[in-house]
Amino acid sequence: MISEQLREEVHKCIKCGLCMNACPVYKQLYFEAASPRGKVQLIRKVLEGDLEPSAHFHDIMFTCLLCENCSVNCPSGLKVDRLMKAMRAELERKFGLRWQKRMVLQLLGSSRLLPFAMFWGRVFRPSVMSLFARDGKVGTIPYAKIPLINSVPLIRQYPGTISPDGRQRGRVLYFTGCATNYFFENVGESVIAVLKRLGVEVILPKDQMCCGLPIFLSGAREMALHNIRHNLRILDTSEVDAVVVDCATCGAALKKEYVHILEEMGEDTRAATAVAGKVMDIAQYLVRFDLAGHLGPVQGRVTYHDPCHLVRSQAVREEPRRLLKMIPKLEFVEMSGSDTCCGGGGTFQWEHPDIALGITKKKLMAIAETQANLVASGCPGCRLQICGNLESQIPQVVHPVELLAKSMDNADE
Amino acid sequence: MIRPEVLEKFTSIFGSQRCKTAKEDLLTYAYDAYIRECIPDAVIFPKSSQEVSEIMRIASAENLFVTPRGAGSGLVGDALAKRGGIVLCFTMMNRILEINAANRYGIVEPGVVIAEFQKEVERCNLFYPPDPGSAAVATMGGAVATNAGGMRGVKYGVTRDYLLGLEIVLPSGDIMTTGSVTAKDVTGYDLTRLMCGSEGTLAVVTRIIVRLLPKPQTKRTLQAVYDQIDKAGTTVSRIIESGIVPAALELMDKTVIRALEDFAHLGLPLDAEAVLLMDVDGDPDTVEKQAAAVAGFCREQGAREVRVSGSEKDNEQLWAARRSAFGAVARMRPNCLIEDATVPVSHLTSAIKKVIEIGQRNDVLIAVLAHAGDGNLHPLILCDQRDTDEMRRVQKSMDEIVDYALSVGGTLSGEHGIGIAKSKYLPKQLSETSLNVMRAVKKLFDPQGILNPGGFLKDEQS
Repeated sequence: MISEQLREEVHKCIKCGLCMNACPVYKQLYFEAASPRGKVQLIRKVLEGDLEPSAHFHDIMFTCLLCENCSVNCPSGLKVDRLMKAMRAELERKFGLRWQKRMVLQLLGSSRLLPFAMFWGRVFRPSVMSLFARDGKVGTIPYAKIPLINSVPLIRQYPGTISPDGRQRGRVLYFTGCATNYFFENVGESVIAVLKRLGVEVILPKDQMCCGLPIFLSGAREMALHNIRHNLRILDTSEVDAVVVDCATCGAALKKEYVHILEEMGEDTRAATAVAGKVMDIAQYLVRFDLAGHLGPVQGRVTYHDPCHLVRSQAVREEPRRLLKMIPKLEFVEMSGSDTCCGGGGTFQWEHPDIALGITKKKLMAIAETQANLVASGCPGCRLQICGNLESQIPQVVHPVELLAKSMDNADE
Repeated sequence: MIRPEVLEKFTSIFGSQRCKTAKEDLLTYAYDAYIRECIPDAVIFPKSSQEVSEIMRIASAENLFVTPRGAGSGLVGDALAKRGGIVLCFTMMNRILEINAANRYGIVEPGVVIAEFQKEVERCNLFYPPDPGSAAVATMGGAVATNAGGMRGVKYGVTRDYLLGLEIVLPSGDIMTTGSVTAKDVTGYDLTRLMCGSEGTLAVVTRIIVRLLPKPQTKRTLQAVYDQIDKAGTTVSRIIESGIVPAALELMDKTVIRALEDFAHLGLPLDAEAVLLMDVDGDPDTVEKQAAAVAGFCREQGAREVRVSGSEKDNEQLWAARRSAFGAVARMRPNCLIEDATVPVSHLTSAIKKVIEIGQRNDVLIAVLAHAGDGNLHPLILCDQRDTDEMRRVQKSMDEIVDYALSVGGTLSGEHGIGIAKSKYLPKQLSETSLNVMRAVKKLFDPQGILNPGGFLKDEQS
């Protein structure tokens, strides 16, 4: 059941409506049940026994990006997203998951099946896609825009300990996350190259699993518990400066969500709290170094999109911008509404393509206005959503660390 | 209750996306920003005047209650379906139809959000001043229905002062227009202004024409901190006497200051009794002179600290305190009722002291914000609505605040409206004759009494 402390949250809502302005989903649909205020009202009615958690209620609870913009804008400080997440867990018990979603989540929850599926997924790409797709698209994203699977998972391309160049200045654990490990190997290569160059020893835990966030945000907390416990067991933080992540979502899971979930499930939170204290987004970790001497010119104009899981879940706003602004010749330009959700929301865009597309179009317009040829964002989900809906090859969507690595390469030329 | 055949008819016209009848949806239209809940029988989202007309025709034929609603950010329950029936929600009828720079007017549908309209207008180097605290969510239609005010009222007035004309749908379903796009218009009774503030009891507004101003060239913000609230009060009087009209003149009392420091750490002194925040705007020369003069008045009246902004960015920083004030105070307790009794501006200080005294005597926590320049108090009454004894004391405090405001020649409500929150006080301010005239007006527009029943003017049946 939803914890006592969270249940009290519903009474904080004074129905002022300020969350509606902050909610990208409400701004597409324009009715209350789409808004955070409406959802809080319905959760309250369920908790007070005035409403059965119906199928319609279930749909309403899942018509949310969990972008957390309502929570940070609530004058009463109501933690709408935490309430929603806890309610989803309740609903999953009653309604279960759609079979396609259950299948994906079970893969993410298994250290054996996921590599196996990724291998065969690469071989039988078209037939695998058709399982999830309608009209040649997965959610809003056309087949052709789904990134190719790395030929070898990133983790298998490197040794467990990667020694730094020159004098050692630091030591980190690198939690790659599934996206970097299986899809965006260039991000992982960049992270490792940059850290190596700066004198940081990188420990790459070979047996890391999916952070579990897509699983527990779908409500399947029991299923996610396996991933959470496993990752906490293998992340030995005693002798490292930080656990570095390049994925906003993994960062949010490790830094925040693990503690919340374990706490709400009445589990021991000590290990999770210890790990949370060490987790740093790669940008957060890198701004501590004096980078100036390492950087060469990168031609272009870059704009930055704030991932929800970075700017709100982790309050990391300035660090990635500072890195980008340090790169010689690279012109930095802010887009309007840089911290508005891109519409991806993990599985949201798959389940609600029409709503997602409306939100994404606004983001693409803001990007187009900047006339940038590069969009940087430290989240594979945002990358997929933005890149998957762009009509041309330009702008290119990249991770800030990829630009940094490129800049370092150029310094040597 | 609405007959099932009628509900089916609405659903066949509007589809299930724009005619909602599921319990889950109805529960989300049971509230506004007041603390009462009333569950409607259906929520319909029109997109054109013709659709509104059709709904009203059916409603009058079937004798159905209809309550118009914008974003539902009102504070007095005027958008609640007090007797059930249909909530007519305008959030999907939200196009800006025209911004005319040559003739300085704009035309909007009622569901347009105020702040979004302001943003568009400012892109054309024009200015739409009415700026209620809820502008980021509240709709233009809601602003017309409640005659919304806000922080710029002291210099620029309220929604009423910008209305040029309306298109309205009568309860019978007939569509008519009032006013025009011209700046001057004395043709017939001023029905435009009659609609403004009528809280959706006379007709349904479907199109709004507003006057626009040139955008002020620049703006300076000043912040003054006081050890005694009286000194803040005399500063306000001094500024008004001097002939300077600030674009905003806001006061925060010590409870607000402490809440702000707990929550946002903005560096306000915890032992201060009051903070004034002021804007002067206009052309750069005048603004410089006025900012210096106002800063002088603050010091002369005993402010212990005066800060004058040097740039737009500074302005924003100084306003951060006021913008966070509501949130900082609201999180002190589960509920926060926002009062808006208004007094002649010369009574401002004594009114604030009276409100604080009323709170203390009734053991109710009250923080005071005020649009000081126009005597509009916003006592923020903090409570937990589950505590019946506390709510009784809250009610008593509100009664006393109202009585006090009326005793010094003030009004029940400066800008939030009457709704169900204050309808019981109406006879205290309005004479029987005045109420009878209002009832007759209501009867003329809405002979069946189907439009927003149970609020504002209590009809005979209640």
